[in-house]
Amino acid sequence: MADTLTPERAAERLRGLSADVRGAVLLDAAGSLAGATDDDHDNAPALADLARRLFEEVDRATRDWDTEPPEQVEVQLPGGAVFASRTPRWTLAAVAKRGALSSLMLYDLRAVLGELEGGPAIRRSTSAEERARGPATEEHAAEELPMPELGGQ
Amino acid sequence: MKEKRKGPLSRAAGLAEGMAATVRRMQREREPRVLLYDPAGYARLVQPEARGHARIMQVAEEMLGQVAERE
Repeated sequence: MADTLTPERAAERLRGLSADVRGAVLLDAAGSLAGATDDDHDNAPALADLARRLFEEVDRATRDWDTEPPEQVEVQLPGGAVFASRTPRWTLAAVAKRGALSSLMLYDLRAVLGELEGGPAIRRSTSAEERARGPATEEHAAEELPMPELGGQ
Repeated sequence: MKEKRKGPLSRAAGLAEGMAATVRRMQREREPRVLLYDPAGYARLVQPEARGHARIMQVAEEMLGQVAERE
């Protein structure tokens, strides 16, 4: 399938979802760099190394906690924010602009990792203008419903 | 119970209070902090004096520096 998300494109996909992402890297289970945003190729290895260290420090800080190991990290700093999310296979870390909405950033990170793990592709809505070019059908209208209809039989 | 405001001046004061509270909340949300989320999505704040807080902040700052350097 042409639209399948590959590790190489995952970081760029994240940036496509959120304009607040300044740079992102994807690491594989071994902690090796698997992908980076397009303009980060020169410093991607260094960023990947830092992303790996971030979760190492998180695991060190939480080893005595009686909870499951953290899956996502948010660090707010005066000049921006760092968000990272991991699955057993991948770690995706992003540096975001100041004021990026945490809940959206964390959701997008999780969505990209989910797609990478074989989950459903992230659907991006199209503008009304674009939709208007095609014939208006009930199927198209149903696709645009954000939530399933409740209260049915 | 919150007293109901009457008159345009009181309403303006109420609006200003609301805006000030929003600004304070936004500032609070942007204070340096480390939040960790478990797989269920529950957040836990790492207290500034807690073990590891300073190191996590330092690594995150370095990440920010890396991206800023490129920009």
